[in-house]
Amino acid sequence: MEFGLSEEQDMLKTMARDFLTKECPKAHVRKMMDDEIGYAPALWKKMADLGWQGLVFPEEFGGSAMNFRDLAVLSEEMGRALIAAPFFSTVMLFGLPILQHGSDHLKREFLPKIANGEMVGTLALLEADGDFWADGIRAKALKRGNHYLISGAKMFVTDAKAADYFLVAARTQATDDPENNITLFLVDAKEWGVYVGKLKTMDMIRKQYEVTFSNVNVPASHIVGELNGGWQIIKQIAVQANAQLCAEMIGGGDWVLETTVAYCKDRVAYGAPIGSYQGLKHRLADMYMELEHARPLMIRAVEYVREARTDAELAVSMAKSYCADVYEMLTNNGVQLHGGIGFTWDHDMHLYFKRARWSANSFGNPTYHRDLIASQLEKQLL
Amino acid sequence: MADEKTAKLEAFRKEVRAWLRANLPKGWGTPEYKVLEGFTQERHDLGKWWTKKCYEAGYTGFGYPKEYGGIERPREEIMVIREEMARTGTPGAPSSLGLLLAAPTLMAHGQEWQKKRFIPKIMSGEESWCEGFSEPNAGSDLANVQTYAVRDGDEWVVKGQKCWTSMWKFADFGILIVKTDLKAPRHRNLTAFIFDTTSKGFERRPLRQMTDESEFGELFFDDMRIPHANMMGEQGRGWYVAMTTLTAERSMGGEQVVSQQGGEIRLGSGVDNLIELARARKRFGKALWDDPVYRQKIAQAAIEEDAYRSWGPAFRAKARKGGASLGATLSFEASVSKNYWAESRQRRAMLIEDMLGSYSQLMSGSKHAVAEGSWVYEILRSRGASIEMGTTEINRNIIAERILGLPREDSAKKAQEK
Repeated sequence: MEFGLSEEQDMLKTMARDFLTKECPKAHVRKMMDDEIGYAPALWKKMADLGWQGLVFPEEFGGSAMNFRDLAVLSEEMGRALIAAPFFSTVMLFGLPILQHGSDHLKREFLPKIANGEMVGTLALLEADGDFWADGIRAKALKRGNHYLISGAKMFVTDAKAADYFLVAARTQATDDPENNITLFLVDAKEWGVYVGKLKTMDMIRKQYEVTFSNVNVPASHIVGELNGGWQIIKQIAVQANAQLCAEMIGGGDWVLETTVAYCKDRVAYGAPIGSYQGLKHRLADMYMELEHARPLMIRAVEYVREARTDAELAVSMAKSYCADVYEMLTNNGVQLHGGIGFTWDHDMHLYFKRARWSANSFGNPTYHRDLIASQLEKQLL
Repeated sequence: MADEKTAKLEAFRKEVRAWLRANLPKGWGTPEYKVLEGFTQERHDLGKWWTKKCYEAGYTGFGYPKEYGGIERPREEIMVIREEMARTGTPGAPSSLGLLLAAPTLMAHGQEWQKKRFIPKIMSGEESWCEGFSEPNAGSDLANVQTYAVRDGDEWVVKGQKCWTSMWKFADFGILIVKTDLKAPRHRNLTAFIFDTTSKGFERRPLRQMTDESEFGELFFDDMRIPHANMMGEQGRGWYVAMTTLTAERSMGGEQVVSQQGGEIRLGSGVDNLIELARARKRFGKALWDDPVYRQKIAQAAIEEDAYRSWGPAFRAKARKGGASLGATLSFEASVSKNYWAESRQRRAMLIEDMLGSYSQLMSGSKHAVAEGSWVYEILRSRGASIEMGTTEINRNIIAERILGLPREDSAKKAQEK
């Protein structure tokens, strides 16, 4: 397994860093925090011109045919920049499942639009209980001829106001086993009966919404994957999304450490830079130690997913649990070591602190993943 | 081209494996093989025997010129040898303190005759070495050494005491850091010597540790004489000689991690034994493994073990990219891995204590002890991990100052100026 980046990946990283520094500085991010849809269509289009949205799509669908590790290179830079754009939702939660499980006609209809920057999509999965499990899905889809009527209330839907389409998880038959009665539907956000309500959330950059579906009409041809086979796809979406989330977290972690080190070199108290005092520098050393041990777990998880290895899910759970713990530790210390200024709205540290919380609590928190890990380890030993 | 190279390397790997099978002690790696415990002469002799065998086969002694007994090999082959040895586990050496600490120090600071006389026998494992560095009042603050030497004609007369000496019992030679100038400022008042442990006036005693064994010892010098020719480096430059040794010591741990294969090992395999223990131990009649609290903790231990193992290969990739020599970067970055390992090992020991409950009190020797007391030993021994080879606090300073570029603490600056 290769831990280092190829020459091409290095170039992609540099290009992404330069682009985001110029096109998506913190001033822009902060403006988007108060924006209705949360992103600038002009920036979205520029990203598409660079081939980002379609990075891993085959060329026949307008993509660049690059791989999952390449995508993680972008995710890392986006996590560092706290990009204000629905990239994670559109690519990880919407585009990838269509690519992997959509019918030919769905792929032809949706993927080129995503790659061109003409479409934003997201996943409408969780409901009132807020937990990532099949039993939590109560939305129903009733068959009416060639159509389905979807009703239900979804929660914690990212970028819903920006979305042109939703990938909606709904139950399609009454059985005792919730993992075998869920189907994924592509639902037009403009369809009659779709209501999007904003949630006031901690992370104001990656916005979340509640989306209500009231007898929304969806053609049967808009089913992604098999009828009643949705939960397996959702599990795959979560594995992939978590791997990319880890890359985002490492990118954000790099920013937090670099910014905090720079501040501690600069800030003077008692006649010396505060970074010279062991009480502070030892914390910084521990931050570096943790970050440098989370990073290889992230790379391993991404590579295992890319190779579609059978132990990819375990590698991702290990990485997700650890990267989330480390990102929270880094941002806790980032706020603390900045002192008063770190607790202000004006300093950017709280933006990372909040993103760390969203990242940790989406698609299973560290405790959830450690439980999965224990079960997997048990299976290995049987 | 690349295929040919890979094929050649694979053939070499087979050769090494065959050699290991043929030469490791009979039954090695099987339950029948009784591993030697403790710091006994028997175990030391086994290490010596093994090092000699490896040296004769050309499987150790890398990185040194031929004239000093070094063995030359392509780097890829060295990696294969290390990987295969790590895979089978080998009897003690070839990683003696002589090879890892004395040899690099001799190379950097030794006189020509010293290199020719001492390095080859370090390579072959014939002679063992120790470090006479730490003292009761000079641990992390090594510059505070009080053992001193006074010149008398062609000799130096040494008086004082050293402690926390690994290999104290078996060393034939040692590197000694002593004060040779009572007036010179800190860091410029020390000199390094090579001393012979058969010298008159030299005495060694075991240091009884909290584990109730004596891995480390104390060295006493009562007017012990050292020939002037045994001086290493210049008079008054002993601090820099010591820094070379300590840097090599830090890299040593790092090297071991760096040569690991990280991703290639089965995920979470490092905690197999913890799971076995949790399945076997019951609390209030229920296996600990069925308790979510212990499952959480063992899962965390698995993550940390994998993170520790993956650090090395990831560092290797980073160093390759940076174009920096692995050794130079590793001397500081090794502190990152060392601290992580120490802290993770201690957390794991706390978990073991928790799982053993009342049985955490039964030491080796009690007929009721779990696994002959080996778990309980770890509860005690792991506490040394954050002290030996640079305390966690000293390593944090190194990480913060040498890697993150933070300024030294004011008091350290003032002490330097004194």
